[in-house]
Amino acid sequence: MLRFLVRRVLLVLPVLFGLLVLTFILVRIVPNDPSAALAGQNATPQQITEIRAKYGFDRPLIIQFFVYLKQVAQGDFGTSIQSGRPVVTDIGQRLPATLELTFAALGLGVFLGVPLGTLAAVRHNRMLDHVVRFFTVGGIAIASFWLAIMLQLLFAMQLDVLPLRGRLSAIMDAPPTITGLYLFDSLVTGRFDIFWNALHHITLPAITLSFGSLATITRFTRSGVLETLQKEYVQYETAVGYPRWLLVSVYVLRNSVVATVTQIGLLFGALLAGSIVVEAIYDWPGIGSYAVLAIFTSDYKAILAMTLLVGVIYAAVNILVDVIHGVIDPRVAEQM
Amino acid sequence: MRTRSWLVLALALAVALGAGPAHAQSVMVWGDNLPANVDPHALYDVPSSFIQLNVYDNLYRYEGNPPLLKPWLAESYTASKDGKTWEFKLRKGLTFASGDPLAAEDVVYSYKRVMSMNKAAAGPFKAAKIASVTAPDANTVRFALEAPYAPFLSIVPVLTVVNKKQIDPHVKGDDLGFGWLSSNSAGSGAYVVDPSGYIPQKQLDLKRNPQHFAGWGHNPKPIDVVKARDIAETATRVNALIKGEIDIGDSYLPTDQVARLQKEKGVVVQRNESMRIFVIRMNNSKPPFDNVNFRRCMSYAFNYGDFIGVILKNFAERNPAPMPKNLWGYPKDVKGYDFDLKKAQAECDKAKAAGAPINREIKLHYQAQLDQTRQAGQLFQSDLKKIGLNVSLVTDTWPNMTAATAKPETSPDMWIHWVSAYFIDPENWIGTMYDSQFHGTWKASSYYKNAKVDELLRAARAIPEQKERTRLYAEAAKQIVEDAADIWVYNTVELRGVSARVKGFKFSPVGSGNELRWMHLE
Repeated sequence: MLRFLVRRVLLVLPVLFGLLVLTFILVRIVPNDPSAALAGQNATPQQITEIRAKYGFDRPLIIQFFVYLKQVAQGDFGTSIQSGRPVVTDIGQRLPATLELTFAALGLGVFLGVPLGTLAAVRHNRMLDHVVRFFTVGGIAIASFWLAIMLQLLFAMQLDVLPLRGRLSAIMDAPPTITGLYLFDSLVTGRFDIFWNALHHITLPAITLSFGSLATITRFTRSGVLETLQKEYVQYETAVGYPRWLLVSVYVLRNSVVATVTQIGLLFGALLAGSIVVEAIYDWPGIGSYAVLAIFTSDYKAILAMTLLVGVIYAAVNILVDVIHGVIDPRVAEQM
Repeated sequence: MRTRSWLVLALALAVALGAGPAHAQSVMVWGDNLPANVDPHALYDVPSSFIQLNVYDNLYRYEGNPPLLKPWLAESYTASKDGKTWEFKLRKGLTFASGDPLAAEDVVYSYKRVMSMNKAAAGPFKAAKIASVTAPDANTVRFALEAPYAPFLSIVPVLTVVNKKQIDPHVKGDDLGFGWLSSNSAGSGAYVVDPSGYIPQKQLDLKRNPQHFAGWGHNPKPIDVVKARDIAETATRVNALIKGEIDIGDSYLPTDQVARLQKEKGVVVQRNESMRIFVIRMNNSKPPFDNVNFRRCMSYAFNYGDFIGVILKNFAERNPAPMPKNLWGYPKDVKGYDFDLKKAQAECDKAKAAGAPINREIKLHYQAQLDQTRQAGQLFQSDLKKIGLNVSLVTDTWPNMTAATAKPETSPDMWIHWVSAYFIDPENWIGTMYDSQFHGTWKASSYYKNAKVDELLRAARAIPEQKERTRLYAEAAKQIVEDAADIWVYNTVELRGVSARVKGFKFSPVGSGNELRWMHLE
């Protein structure tokens, strides 16, 4: 297992390097001049030229890239042109909000999607299966920005049972920081009032973000369970009178979710990307809005750091998925 | 006995936990856009006025509508007869929020910092050509100008005063303390930044400075804590206002939301005529825009009536000249251009006959984050198509466009923006937009050049008498309109949704009513 992990991490490094090269080139070939952005609105062409020389923007692109790479290797991701702070500080402050929302959405997707998919398969071609299929097609087709606004209008504006925006009520202070995940931190520190408030606030964004992944997980689970139910050992165990619920929940499900687990790894990346829209509508202070601002303001150090960070998270989650594969399926573990 | 012990214990606990009749803090949630950082010298735009007006003070300050200059940190000023030396007397006993004394040296330091950073706030002072700023004594600040500059007093509020003593320990290399001041405060203003929960362009908390020099006698129930939350989505911002999650929205409330908010009992729509003109710029240095007939053709082809009446639902006032209609110096007898495609066609024909390449593709840049600029672009594009002109719309951002305007060859064919009330003098609009000495700045990005206009504008800024300046600006404006240097569309009516529980909101075109010290909650 350890060898497998080392191999996977080593394989990720060239992927991240490639990602950095691609992003660096893309950011620098678009007609935005970072020197002009740094110089500000009143700068004369002479001052822009001086800044270009000072920051090395007048050097060949490949030299600039290796200078940047060296800085990154030393943990220096640079300073944001806009906020004036290290981009690591900016991102570090916002990342927990995005991770909390993504985990909540993924959690909803898994804890609802797997049972729903299993039930739909067990009740194949019956009413429940049709209903689940209808909703899963909808879940994949519905645009998240539309769903977000509809949920806001219904639950926050009409029924007035959930808040409209933000991570906490404005008058409530954040819990003492341990991880930056409000739900976790408030629970650990015994601040149940904050926990309850944070739970209320995350409900609508998490449902919105999870809708697409819930549909995908449900469909993959349904297909997997349906296929496994056709296997001879299942028919044999059914014939000998094994209880149906035990057979499905213990034996069938474990052999059916390998494809679902792979999907969860892929969905994590989609959820991170999807959070940009959801964060904007629910005014969620995560990295999505930071990325959009960085792009709009040509804050190229922030763009590069963001891209690398998302790449690292995505790679880490996929390694984790591979490990879970091994846990679920001993045949995979043997090949590790 | 046992019961009494419990009572004593409970009372002691209540006192220890502060459960007694303590003063409840009033908290307001501010839902306007936040600036990119909170350094008052790094930015000079509408969002940054929230910091400049509330966290910092200036020598003189604009108040009201129409905005009038009031003595602020300075109690008076004197100007030499030749208009080249200006002395400001500071009030006695001024302090920063930290408790440090505020002296003339801090004003000198602040001026030097603004000029060294050379960001937007430096612009007006560069135009004034200031030779030196000195502090002859602890209460006197002296500005020595290279030449008389009539708008000088009007630009003085642009300079916000920072505490040198507080910034100095945080200076790194040549950053002038920007790395620290971008997320902390070092001012004397009515509020201070609470850096603990600050997330740039997302959330910022301000706490009241009870020691502010102006005192709080004017406001018996001032707001103690202001929690500013930058909500990017208009729909969310408006809904949050209706639901009571925020107390005040931004000053760019879309006109299609006005009727909806007016139906809500808990919300008041503040409607104030401002001094923010909407302008479609034309790069006069690039063919075919170097042809005056072509520029006139473009000026006749914009549908002002439909844009203001239908898209903006008449929440704007037609403003056909290069300065706000409600400002002195506005040329009363200038009619400007009306929407008339026949006249446009005739002017384009003349331009074509003179060899102007009017059939080339014209690129019109609009600001991605500001819907109204896109709407204006689309309306213009469809009308220009009717007279055979090929316009493509380009999505762009403010930093890109202002950077591109540094050179005539990189400046866009056309771009759309507003010119806000940074300071109240025709110099802020017509002076810095059409005097050719400002070519290379975003304000002068049409690269218009007319020797007669240069002469008029330069004379106007050198003469102290307002009557004569009015005549000169009016004459210059007539010429610029005649030359169709740009397309001036409207003067803004600022719309802002405010919760009915917020009292004391005071609007001024400088800062859009962002000054918190007037407000209280009911």
